[in-house]
Amino acid sequence: MIEVKDLVRQFKSGDRTIKPVNGVSFELEKGSLSSIVGKSGSGKSTLLSLLGALDKPTSGDVVVDGVSLAGLPDGKLTEYRRRDIGFVFQQFNLIPNLSAVDNVMLPMEFAGIRKAARLKRAKELLEQVQLDPEKQSRRVNRLSGGEQQRVAIARALANEPKLILADEPTGNLDEQTGEHIIELLSSLSRDHNTTILVVTHDRSLAQKTERCFRLQQGKLTEEVRTGSRR
Amino acid sequence: MSVLARSVGNAFRNKIRTAAVVAVLAVAIGLALAMLVANQAVGAKVQELNASVGTTLTVNPAGGQGFEGGGEPLTTAEAGTAASVANVTSVVGTKALRLQTATTGTTGTTQQAGPGGGFGPGGQQATVSTSLVAAIDAGTLGNRNNASGNSGTTGNTGTSNLPARALPITATGIGAEVDSTGKALNITSGTGLGDYNTATGKALVGTSLAEKNSLSVGSTFTVQDKTFTVTGIFDAGTAFGNNAVYMTLPEAQTLAATPDELSSMIVTVNSMENVDSTKTAVQSALGADKADVTQGQRNLETAVSSLDSVKNISLVAFIAALATAGIIILLIMVMLVRERRREIGVLKAIGAPNRTIGLQFVLESLVLVALGSVVGAVIASFASGGIASALISSNTSTTAAPTTQRGGGLAGAVPNGAVPGGGGFPGGGQGGPFGGASQLLTSVTASLSPGVLAAGIAAVFAVAIIGALVPALLTARIRPIEVLRGE
Repeated sequence: MIEVKDLVRQFKSGDRTIKPVNGVSFELEKGSLSSIVGKSGSGKSTLLSLLGALDKPTSGDVVVDGVSLAGLPDGKLTEYRRRDIGFVFQQFNLIPNLSAVDNVMLPMEFAGIRKAARLKRAKELLEQVQLDPEKQSRRVNRLSGGEQQRVAIARALANEPKLILADEPTGNLDEQTGEHIIELLSSLSRDHNTTILVVTHDRSLAQKTERCFRLQQGKLTEEVRTGSRR
Repeated sequence: MSVLARSVGNAFRNKIRTAAVVAVLAVAIGLALAMLVANQAVGAKVQELNASVGTTLTVNPAGGQGFEGGGEPLTTAEAGTAASVANVTSVVGTKALRLQTATTGTTGTTQQAGPGGGFGPGGQQATVSTSLVAAIDAGTLGNRNNASGNSGTTGNTGTSNLPARALPITATGIGAEVDSTGKALNITSGTGLGDYNTATGKALVGTSLAEKNSLSVGSTFTVQDKTFTVTGIFDAGTAFGNNAVYMTLPEAQTLAATPDELSSMIVTVNSMENVDSTKTAVQSALGADKADVTQGQRNLETAVSSLDSVKNISLVAFIAALATAGIIILLIMVMLVRERRREIGVLKAIGAPNRTIGLQFVLESLVLVALGSVVGAVIASFASGGIASALISSNTSTTAAPTTQRGGGLAGAVPNGAVPGGGGFPGGGQGGPFGGASQLLTSVTASLSPGVLAAGIAAVFAVAIIGALVPALLTARIRPIEVLRGE
């Protein structure tokens, strides 16, 4: 269970104070698949970074399984990111001089998993995201955008995190691969009880999530859904 | 992929930049190693000089020196007196003899009192007969000396038509394994005499004398009907010095029939700084009317002082080159950290601890330093000899120390050469074969030995780690949010 309590993040821009996240509160059930939609610059990525402990809120708190992130020191926050969070960044943020399989193995290396085990899992994950086996040992800067996105998703899944935060996970994928990724994320939440929060512009993707939030001027509202996913 | 493997990979991410960084580092490291080599070589030479000659005094009977002069001989009691003076670490007595090739009916000991140049020594040296033949031909100088020596008023009976003479052989009784100047004997084959305080019937023979008389280790010869066994052959470095025999002090005293007498004493002082004061103290203890105390290596002090300057300069240059290597590493790594901020942020975002990221950058810098060290060691092996000789020749031109450079053990081929040096220093002591200080400053060997290389590389790596720690610590200040902010 993830509880977001009156979360505020503000920045100074000259004389102005900007609040991309302004008093946001919501809860995510364990194993849920949710989405946040909103215009560019509406604060979606800022909210993701607060949930993922990449940034610290100006006020408010994020509580994960009863543990408040606000009180944790940097070392514990790093551990939280390593153990509990899987990020899928909009720009992939892969390490360019490493191969696809090495990129996927990185979070497992930081978690202290032995090389043979992490190599096996990395290959399995890359197969799950449908990356051609011959491309697994290729440097990621020689892969296409869609392929890099799949490697980024595989990396996010590496340590079997409790929460996956995905920023436009299908933005660079063709329709068929995008569908596959959505199905993969759905199965993760359904079968592995992984909580998934997706930021997207893709209405069709948002439609496929259990809950959909709209972020507008720093405020979060939940859209009322008529149908059911899955 | 481990941190180390990632670091190695990162070091070669930009091959052109890596090559440039390694080249710059190699020059700095090579210079540092060359300076360390020069420092070690000069330091070892200074130590050697201080240990062998730089801190010795020579004591002769007052009014007598070598084959010249007169006065009363020194005694073993006076050696004890000298040994009790403060800062004196050892006193070695010598007894000089002249060995004259035996002819029929001329064996025996003769105390001669002629002028020093010819047959007649100045009262110090007993002349005894031997089966040995001198290795040096008399030549013009020898025959001229012969004529001069026999025309003296107190010399041997002279004749107007002197036959071509056979030169005498210098024999010295020694109380330790040193030559008559106090320098350690260079025994090229065999061993020393063992116990130098008893008459053992053993002798050390100079190379040319051994060759002339077909002697080798184990061979025998006679001196005044006593048989001596050759235990070792030494190389004194000069033709005159190699026409000599060393035996134990009691042996020489017995042959000369002067059991308590010494021709000279070699007094070793504990440090160069104490030589002057100790000289005065020894002179005072023995009495000016009894002994002349000389410091034959006065000029050597200047040489050592110059070498000390070279040592200091090379040390400063070594530190400066090390610091340069450290600064290069620091700047390169700061640049890399700035360039890879986003990547560092990604690593943190996916859970990399600060220490892992810091370690990655330190290891990357060490990879660059390792490459630089390999190239630097090659540079140093070729350049260290030249750099050392340049330093020494520019600092010891007034003291004229001949210098030889030799290539390093690792790289091997380094051109040999001699730095323009100069002649020897006037030697002190008794009339033995003192070839001058040039013999003592024989060479400064600047070679890149494995020990020096290891010490230098260790210092370079230590500096590199310090240089890389600053940028590594900078990575801890990078916040992962910077990854997303760029999006």
